[in-house]
Amino acid sequence: MVKKMTLKLALSGLKNHLKDYFILFSGLTISAAIFYMFQTLAANPLFLKSNTYLSSIVVIFNLGTFLLAIITFAYLNYANNFLISLRSRIYAMYLMLGAKSRKIAQLIFLETIVIGFLAILTGIVCGIILTQLISRLLIKQLDLSLIHYSPWNNQAILVTLIFFLFIFVFFALKNARKLVYTPILKLLNQEKTPVRAHKNPLLWGGEIIAGIVLLAIGYWALAHLDKLNVNGIFMAIITIVSGSYFVFDSLFLAIIQSLQHRPNFALKRLHSFTLGQLNFRLRDLTKLLAMISIMFALALGAITVGIGFHRDIATITNVCSDYDFILHDPSTRELDQVNNLKLTDTSVYHYKIASNKVYWLVDDFNLKPFNHVIPNGSFNPIKYSHVTGKQMLKDKNQWLSILQSYLGDTSTILPGGFLSKKEFETKTGKEHIINLYVLKNFMAEKNQIKPLVLADNKKIKLDVNRDSTQKYNMFFVINGMLSGFEFMGLFLGIAFLAMLASCLMFKILSGANNDMHRYQILKQIGARHQLLEYSIAQEIGTIFLLPALLGVVHVLFGLQMFKVTNLIYEPYKNLIIPIGIFLVLYAFYYLVTDFIYQKKVLRK
Amino acid sequence: MTSIVAVQQVKKVYGKVHEEKTVALKNVNFQVETGEFIGIMGASGSGKSTLLNILSTIDRPTSGQVLINGYDITKLRGNKLSDFRAHQIGFIFQDFNLLEDLTVEENIALPLSLEEMSPKRIKALVTLISKKLSISSILKKYPAEISGGQKQRAAAARALITKPAILLGDEPTGSLDSSSARELLNTMTNLNQKDKISILLVTHDPVSASFCQRILFIKDGVIGKELRRNNLDRISFYHQILNEVESFES
Repeated sequence: MVKKMTLKLALSGLKNHLKDYFILFSGLTISAAIFYMFQTLAANPLFLKSNTYLSSIVVIFNLGTFLLAIITFAYLNYANNFLISLRSRIYAMYLMLGAKSRKIAQLIFLETIVIGFLAILTGIVCGIILTQLISRLLIKQLDLSLIHYSPWNNQAILVTLIFFLFIFVFFALKNARKLVYTPILKLLNQEKTPVRAHKNPLLWGGEIIAGIVLLAIGYWALAHLDKLNVNGIFMAIITIVSGSYFVFDSLFLAIIQSLQHRPNFALKRLHSFTLGQLNFRLRDLTKLLAMISIMFALALGAITVGIGFHRDIATITNVCSDYDFILHDPSTRELDQVNNLKLTDTSVYHYKIASNKVYWLVDDFNLKPFNHVIPNGSFNPIKYSHVTGKQMLKDKNQWLSILQSYLGDTSTILPGGFLSKKEFETKTGKEHIINLYVLKNFMAEKNQIKPLVLADNKKIKLDVNRDSTQKYNMFFVINGMLSGFEFMGLFLGIAFLAMLASCLMFKILSGANNDMHRYQILKQIGARHQLLEYSIAQEIGTIFLLPALLGVVHVLFGLQMFKVTNLIYEPYKNLIIPIGIFLVLYAFYYLVTDFIYQKKVLRK
Repeated sequence: MTSIVAVQQVKKVYGKVHEEKTVALKNVNFQVETGEFIGIMGASGSGKSTLLNILSTIDRPTSGQVLINGYDITKLRGNKLSDFRAHQIGFIFQDFNLLEDLTVEENIALPLSLEEMSPKRIKALVTLISKKLSISSILKKYPAEISGGQKQRAAAARALITKPAILLGDEPTGSLDSSSARELLNTMTNLNQKDKISILLVTHDPVSASFCQRILFIKDGVIGKELRRNNLDRISFYHQILNEVESFES
């Protein structure tokens, strides 16, 4: 009977604040969905190994899981505090009415578990659907080639289930404990009374300087990662994390307080109120905002790097081969298809195979000189441009072996020599043609040449993975290598962004119940509705903007790391694109938070 | 004398169309003259809170008219309502309603900032009113750092700084100890007599009521009795109120 009652109370608790629970529940669902989605990658070694050339990829993904687990935990902590803020008053009332604290503890335990469990299940289902949608979208939009990737992954389901159940049981215990040990009065009146922080001006100034110096050291370490190696990473993590904390604890506070002391600004409209709110909020949020600026940088960095890899695919393919595609002994039908393409360059070379040896018609090269690059793993490969037949004859052996590489499977034929027109005509043996083409826009027409190249690869038994003569094959190989990285970068970036923005959202919304009273007072004083909306937009906007500002600065300096280690070619190129995409998503979170908060505090 | 507040045939019924109705105010009529210090007394459930909510524009009557300084407040909406609150009425509440994250000075200045007055003029007016209410020394403090009496003075300063047509008080001494309460009531009497500020006080405390010039007793949603102080001293008026409360409530 008692148990039934307890269950009824817990469920009725859910019913009462339906809207708030909807926000909470969707937040939890999203975090479970994101975690699941990442696990479909991380818990799938087959996928990881087949999609990247790095042997350490599994380790990298494990590191990613670890990072994601930490931010998920932090995120759930804020979501949980939001839950507590919804419930503590009502539970305190039960206690006042004489309910046993053990019963109340059971109640909150039950409630947390019920919400958590439902969120996990919904989250996994959403995760499966989203994985399906996103992977399709990314594969289509970005020409990703993902092998062994499936939205349904048993191990990912298991890992997500265990991880989240563990966390929810932890929070359920924590909540139950908190309600039992916190004095009723405090539960009833959770409103925090702001107390003036006494800061020694000297120490304060010192903190500002320390913050900036620590950040500078961190940025310096990242820019010298080529020399500092792993030590540089540790150094940067420690200095940038603590530097961000100091900057929030001192610099931003100093700016706000100096604004408060400027009557021309502070005494305009609701500025004094907004500044007052920010002054107390920032102090309360220092740790969170510092963490968010770091997460912001990681997320933005991940997206930038993802896009960087995408650009690298094109860049690497471009520098690695001069000809976009090659056809051997093309049929008339194939030639017709080629005629429909927008070409900028066509070279035709003749050769004959006699007694297992290849003989080239040297006049062809005099007529249309040959271009060749030798990829050497860097962005500055060895390039030969406009090599004529005459030049080839000077270094016969080298050029014969280079041309040999254009013929596919050469296990049964050997380099023969260069022949003049007369010699070529009299040479017995089968005559062949090789056509080399350059397209006006490779990326735009690569899908049209795909069937031609695949048929030709088959014809000459070409091992695609070892071919560097034509751009299409290079593209195929490099795209395969970098797609995994690109996918992970974009995925982690968006997932981190969703989480960090939701952390902020929950933190701000948790305070809404306490803030409601203040807005009522302002209304009574005669503040117009639009002015209140504007003030809220400003206040929440600042809280969103400050970590974003610092986060962008982190990224701008952090990208040096990729520059000095040569991991990405030109990491700063088109930086506006990832930053733009990121800020649009971030702004979306801001608008949603602003909207919900206004709905809550300006209720009529 | 002109009237600053005119309440005519005000009725307030709670409950939606198909729900059981509760009549909070049946038919309330009264006027407050300019410069008057008037008290409204009643037990809980008498309708006095409903009446104050209507006067302070937080709630609207079901029927009837309320004029404050010539404005029919039952017809005000949106920005007009906000502007009316900002210029025509000042409030002081039992729980002070100061903004905790602003200093006393910022709290007092806020209504003027809303009017976009120049900072220089705001400063001058804040200095003036805080001298009048003897709170000049605590201007830089936060509400959490001052006493209840000081908080209520700060709230009064904020309510009066826009020179409203009327000051409305909702049990303003309810959270104060007796000496702070007396100090506040003396201040209010001073403001009323010297600065001719009209004050309407809702209270159930006979001591607070004894500072008023006229008292309206409300019971079951109607004003049942009126008591005038005339030339009585405060203590005698207090005893008169006590007797009246006893006979009126029974």
